[in-house]
Amino acid sequence: MTTWTFILKNALRNPRRSVLTVSSVAVSAALLTSMMTLQRELTVPPESEGASLRIIARNKVSLVQPLPARQLAEIERIPGIVAVTPFTYFGGQYNDEEFTSFAQFAVEPRRFRSLLVEGRVSGGDYDAWEKDRTSCMVGRDTMKRYGLKVGDRMKFRGTFYPCDLDLRIAAVFEGTVDDRGVFFHHKLLDELTGDLGTVGTWYLRVESAEKVPGVIAAIDGRFANTAAEVRAESERAFQMGFVGMLGNVAALIRTVNGVIVFTLALVSASTMSMTIRERFREMAVLKALGYKRRDLLGFILAEGFGLSALGGAVGIGGAWAAWTLLDIQRLTGGIFIVFEVTPRIMATAGVVAALLGIVASLGPAISVGRMSVVSGLKTLD
Amino acid sequence: MGTGGEAWGWLGLAGGVAAAFGLMSWLARLAGLPIQYNLRNVVVRWRSSVATVLGIAAVVAVFVALRAMARGIEASSASTGDPDNLLVVRKGSQAESGSLVTREQFRIIESFEGLARNAAGRPVISAEVVAIISSARSQGPGEANALVRGVTASGMELRPQVRLVEGRWFEPGRREVVVARSLSRRFRDFGMGGEVKAGRARLRVVGHFDGGGSAFDSEAWMDADEARAVFDREPYSSLLMRPTDPAAAKVLAARIEGDRRFSLRAENEVEYYSKQTMTAKPIKYIAAVLGVAMSVGAVFAAMNTMYASVAARTREIGTLRVLGYSRRAVVACFMVEGACLSAAGGLLGCGLARFTNGLATGTLDFQSFAETVFQFRVTPDLMGLGLAFAVAIGLAGSLLPALRAARTPVISALKSA
Repeated sequence: MTTWTFILKNALRNPRRSVLTVSSVAVSAALLTSMMTLQRELTVPPESEGASLRIIARNKVSLVQPLPARQLAEIERIPGIVAVTPFTYFGGQYNDEEFTSFAQFAVEPRRFRSLLVEGRVSGGDYDAWEKDRTSCMVGRDTMKRYGLKVGDRMKFRGTFYPCDLDLRIAAVFEGTVDDRGVFFHHKLLDELTGDLGTVGTWYLRVESAEKVPGVIAAIDGRFANTAAEVRAESERAFQMGFVGMLGNVAALIRTVNGVIVFTLALVSASTMSMTIRERFREMAVLKALGYKRRDLLGFILAEGFGLSALGGAVGIGGAWAAWTLLDIQRLTGGIFIVFEVTPRIMATAGVVAALLGIVASLGPAISVGRMSVVSGLKTLD
Repeated sequence: MGTGGEAWGWLGLAGGVAAAFGLMSWLARLAGLPIQYNLRNVVVRWRSSVATVLGIAAVVAVFVALRAMARGIEASSASTGDPDNLLVVRKGSQAESGSLVTREQFRIIESFEGLARNAAGRPVISAEVVAIISSARSQGPGEANALVRGVTASGMELRPQVRLVEGRWFEPGRREVVVARSLSRRFRDFGMGGEVKAGRARLRVVGHFDGGGSAFDSEAWMDADEARAVFDREPYSSLLMRPTDPAAAKVLAARIEGDRRFSLRAENEVEYYSKQTMTAKPIKYIAAVLGVAMSVGAVFAAMNTMYASVAARTREIGTLRVLGYSRRAVVACFMVEGACLSAAGGLLGCGLARFTNGLATGTLDFQSFAETVFQFRVTPDLMGLGLAFAVAIGLAGSLLPALRAARTPVISALKSA
């Protein structure tokens, strides 16, 4: 019998306990993986190549405060800008559903075209949308979720704006980080609201990444000390602003993660010490036979590490498979879209599980090392 | 919830716990074994007992604390408003921040019959403006949204639960703001004498108020007309009014909603706020998912402990059987032991979660789109729920080991080492 088969046989000699230990570590590891994924989903917005070239300019007071439409001419004059469009969040309720998880934006289709860097039109026709001011362009995910096709109508009840929308689907887009949105003509919104002369935000694209800081400074400076001061920021910074608004939620998730790791440690530690204490007499026999303290330590650590590593692999693999195979968007009603279990998350959870296995077996290993052969042989139980 | 209600809740919880322990010892007696036998066993195997208890405590603490957070958000909505008040917003809007009421509509409604009148003979009605400002957080970098409400003298009269605790109220016609004390802790510039930027305008903080645990604790108040000027708004956001009596309120609401000239919705203020609880939903969802998932892990851990307990006592079980105890008695005996173990974990977990009670924190409210502050609320019924949850974990974890104990053949059990 080699050393490794000895360890393996030891680990498997109480199969029920091994299965239970592996399962409880697996459940905890799966939970830890899922919670870290949730934290990432909430705090790290999906990144796209075009985002580094795009800027969102909002009212300095707050995102909710509108901007005067007349600012457009002045923004256009700033050098380095490829295209700029009004970008107004409509906040409609689709078909009277209680919570609509996809956003609708009023834009100028002619100007919006060159902002859609990563996206491409996969159904219908962009020109048809541009021509018909009561039509809209819809993301592929939303089309799929509601079983819609080009030519269908979508009705929205305005929760922010005092008007309702009835739009014909003219085009479908896909390939952006969030293929859920609905885009419609800003002119239509202006008509329905009696031309307020305002827009929600400005959405613009800059020629190159190096020019982004300059353009941001130019926009902020242009409207400083006017009635409507502007805060321009990169699309990335804008998204991170939302994360900041969530407040203590991220800290809360970190705390929960900590509790899960603590529980994990507890469970494996208790099982390992149970396992070793049962074998005190055997360990004494091994010592009497001439095995060194180091060997015994190795046996115990290898067993603890093996069991928890196996549990970790099962749990992390299970979580990865579940979140990859399941349609998270449908499951959460569209609240979460990516929920990607990244290699980094899996590696972190794996290291935590394996380390815990070692830490948990340290206690029993030390007491085995300290025991004298005589007292070990005397142990009953 | 009043303190009286809470006291009854605690009494109820204590009664529930006493009843549960009574039931357990009765079950144990039914098994024919005194409960002390189980308790001593738990103490003798203290290492694995402690691990199981702590594991279950962690599960229960997380579950109860998350539910307490959702409860806190709901409580601030639930304790807002006066049942005698009527709130008018635009039809289709989900929150006041998305509502519009024109000045003309206000003038018309102001002249409607059925409105209470104050000492000066003026109708008790307040036309208000709700705006959002982005302001620097007090801790860490970044900004968050804060809700600013432009109110009138009537508006303060209509909300007696809001009282000034520091400084003075704003003066009409001046750019002054009075901030809820709990909100002031979360923003850098909201302290006394602070200067809040709203675009080009500067608002001076002249006082702090206490909203008595209501949604107003997440607001900053200023003069309504000043707010319309600062935020460049022609229309109001909402109207709050007091009808003379409930019957008049019904008539008034029907008249406002039925008027073709405006598309407005009139609702009892308390009812309106009781529906503003969307933010609590995802937290409850996460609490449920985490509770279930963590409890599965805890059940495995409890099973491990109980199996070990059964294995170590094989001879004892054989002895009990020889003495005449039935299989059923042995099952009941181990189930009671598992339940005791997990009840201890549950108590500890609830105790830990109780530390979060009253903890003030804040997050983004999905409806108003502004920071909402709330306190964790660990109420007796939540703790009862946590305890029941713990005992369920213990029973689930000890069922299979208990059955195994009962199935042990007597002779071989007695022979075992």
